[in-house]
Amino acid sequence: MDKQIVARVAKASHIKLTDEELEKYSKDLGDILDYFAILDEAPNHEGAGINPVEIADVLREDVPEEKFESAELLKDMKTYDNYIRGPKLV
Amino acid sequence: MSNADTLAKLSKINEKYQMFNDFCKDGELGDAEFMFSVKDNLTSKEYETCAGSRILEGYRPVFDATCIAKLKAAGGKLIGKANMDEFGFGTFSTNSGFGIPRNPFDLSRSCGGSSGGSACAAAVLDDHISLGVSTGGSICCPASFCGTYGIVPSYGRVSRYGLIDYGNSLDKIGILAMDPKQMTKYLPIIAGKDKEDPTSCVQPELKITHKKMTSVAVPKEAVEGISKDVLDAFNRALEDLKSMGIDVEYVDMPELKYAMPAYYILATSEASTNLARYAGMRYGRQDGDLTLKFDDYFTSFRSEYFGDEAKRRILLGTYTRMEGFRDRYYAKALQVRMVVIDAYKKMFQNHDAVLTPTMPFVSPKFDDISKMTPVESYKADFLTVPANLAGTPHLNCPCGYNADGMPIGMQFVTDHWNEEQLLTMAEEWDKQFEVRKAEVSL
Repeated sequence: MDKQIVARVAKASHIKLTDEELEKYSKDLGDILDYFAILDEAPNHEGAGINPVEIADVLREDVPEEKFESAELLKDMKTYDNYIRGPKLV
Repeated sequence: MSNADTLAKLSKINEKYQMFNDFCKDGELGDAEFMFSVKDNLTSKEYETCAGSRILEGYRPVFDATCIAKLKAAGGKLIGKANMDEFGFGTFSTNSGFGIPRNPFDLSRSCGGSSGGSACAAAVLDDHISLGVSTGGSICCPASFCGTYGIVPSYGRVSRYGLIDYGNSLDKIGILAMDPKQMTKYLPIIAGKDKEDPTSCVQPELKITHKKMTSVAVPKEAVEGISKDVLDAFNRALEDLKSMGIDVEYVDMPELKYAMPAYYILATSEASTNLARYAGMRYGRQDGDLTLKFDDYFTSFRSEYFGDEAKRRILLGTYTRMEGFRDRYYAKALQVRMVVIDAYKKMFQNHDAVLTPTMPFVSPKFDDISKMTPVESYKADFLTVPANLAGTPHLNCPCGYNADGMPIGMQFVTDHWNEEQLLTMAEEWDKQFEVRKAEVSL
């Protein structure tokens, strides 16, 4: 696969690749997609199997509930004043 | 070995086989009636849950997965979190961030993947059940390589609440055990509707009336390219099945060859979105450089802690969903899933099950695995992937041993929600086939 496309995909995936990795994954993805070309000859189907079994009428009532104490959920997170810490936005 | 002995020796056993990432160290059985272990992508309050990934190192969930809670309520003691390929990405359990489980029949060989630690635990520990998770073959493959029984129920039969997602439309929690009666006993316990997982809420009741199989279909396509030792054992098993009164018919299922690419496209597409949440905040490791800019922080963190195969699958799954490629890959794969389901349904009109060998070869040595290309590794799954893509229940039964004593398995696939005939088949098979238990010397 073209290295520029792999680099674009990596950027969208939030993964930084070294030159060596870019080389390796370009070859790997090219080989894998060559193998997947067999799908082009597969028959079409009018349905789309989002799930392998039919999933219907399974929405639960929209009722607020507090299953866990927020302190319990935050116990292993980096926090500041009960907010989760993350990198700066700007 | 009694449960108390097993607990006392667990540290030594794990040192040899590396089946658990985290395990019970207090040696206390307490009031528990049985012991079980689970794959490390099922959340547990007592142990770290890392799903084989360094990015989750140190993650201690605040709740038990539904299946764990149910086994505990039934008197079980969770004794270990089983090693696995990172997030389930692998066929040999060699893609773990925490060591590699060793095959109990030959330590230089793989346990299979991605539930390799679970299969190892089921094979090594006496009277043990281990929960695995199958996305594309991750229960039947290791069960075959380690010589255990393994059942994967229908998609939606067991609640996925508490499972760290790989592919949401593919993941299924199942059981590995040396004794098939254990599967019959514990599958109804972990199965059932759970409001925390809507996909579990459409299932019919799991009834076990011990209905036997009378006819199986063997796809001709499934015995092409199989190693001689596996094929010999499989053919002998077919004769045994006939002597049990089961009709065996060779059939054509040309649709099977499309299952593997369709599976890998759907699995990696779903995985690439699921893994977006691992960004150095909230779960597991959070030791990134917070002075970096927003995107740079996530990128540097993910680049450092995701393993090689995880990166490959994220890239592949992102590509197959991108504008310009989506219709050719993702949309087509969804259609192919329906084509494969239709092919199975057609078989089930005249047969109770579709039967194939489970894996095309016995467990390979680690040296040989390291030389495989990604495509060669993916191709090893060609027999286990179709049933996983279709969400149909399936079963590995040990059916032979090669000249080196390595186990060989066969795989039965039945229609959606028909786990009953698989469980009965396993028990009937076990009455006439002598399953070998690996010798455990410490």
